[in-house]
Amino acid sequence: MADLMARMGELCASGTPGDSLVALGLGSCIGVVLLDRRKGVAGLAHIVLPAADGHAKELNPLKFADRAVPELVKQVVARGGRKPMLEAVLVGGASMFAGAGSTLEVGARNAAAVKAELVKERIRIHAEDTGGTKGRTVRVDPVTGVVTVRKAGAKDEQLYPATRVLQEVA
Amino acid sequence: MSASYNETQLDALRELANIGAGTASTALSEMLGRSIDLAVPDARVLPMADAVEQLGPPEQEITGIMLGVEGELPATVLMLLTPENADKVCVMLGLEAGSDLVPSALGEIGNVVGTSYLNALAGMTGLAIEPTPPATVTDFLGAIVESILAVRAAASDRTLLLDSSLVIEGEDCSIVFLLVPDHGGAEELLERIGVA
Repeated sequence: MADLMARMGELCASGTPGDSLVALGLGSCIGVVLLDRRKGVAGLAHIVLPAADGHAKELNPLKFADRAVPELVKQVVARGGRKPMLEAVLVGGASMFAGAGSTLEVGARNAAAVKAELVKERIRIHAEDTGGTKGRTVRVDPVTGVVTVRKAGAKDEQLYPATRVLQEVA
Repeated sequence: MSASYNETQLDALRELANIGAGTASTALSEMLGRSIDLAVPDARVLPMADAVEQLGPPEQEITGIMLGVEGELPATVLMLLTPENADKVCVMLGLEAGSDLVPSALGEIGNVVGTSYLNALAGMTGLAIEPTPPATVTDFLGAIVESILAVRAAASDRTLLLDSSLVIEGEDCSIVFLLVPDHGGAEELLERIGVA
């Protein structure tokens, strides 16, 4: 039972009961979650930039959306996930310093790049909490497939699977 | 070129940070009418993922004042303080805690302190640099820092952090002052002071 951390440019995957996959304080970065809920396997990548093209080859490839997404699929499948059954959840891609120039578009570009990669992999996005100006922490329980998101100054909220609001009976 | 520096270079950068932060603390002291202590500055080269954790717990809520630096030393200046300390500083400026004016007051502090730091650097190195207007946010430390590092991640997996602490005497209140040069920015600095 452990918290597996995905820090900037890192990814993790697990199918072990009691494990949590965690990315703390995502700003313009994107946390990509892949789930096979029936098998109880999940992976989480902490993506920093859209594409590795044109950048030095010695850089860590896993910080780029176009390299990290295929690797994440591979690692989830290696732990027993079935590729056709994978569901994706996206968290992050905020613009923390709205109006302050260059950091502005990275979040949105990251989200677009991740979506393009998921289309290539034929994986559907089932939930997302992206954009805006707030940082987010994402936690994944691989066995139950529950994904929660927390923003600064707020509580954990379940993002996926969607929770039904129970109507109060007077 | 990846971000790696020898000890002599890091020492030279620490010395620059020390002089910059000294000037910045004088400016802050004049603004607040308090004495400011300066902790010994540090220059560190770290993998980006570690840099976030070195500054504090990623989920800590923190107020960040950010200034871009343009010109011959492209960089970002980031001042970090807890939201409680941000309120304290504003009270020292004569505002009410929680006032609507807090973000703009903090931006102004960032402007004055950051500009004095940068002017000191410019004076020592002869580099022409210009700060951009400040932006203030309160959020997760990790989210603020990684967003600043992310734009540099295309060039390197590592980052240079020049950090200093400004401690407001008798108030148990400190501000962390960070200069994060863009890729190549530190080389320019080192070249100007003759230790490239």
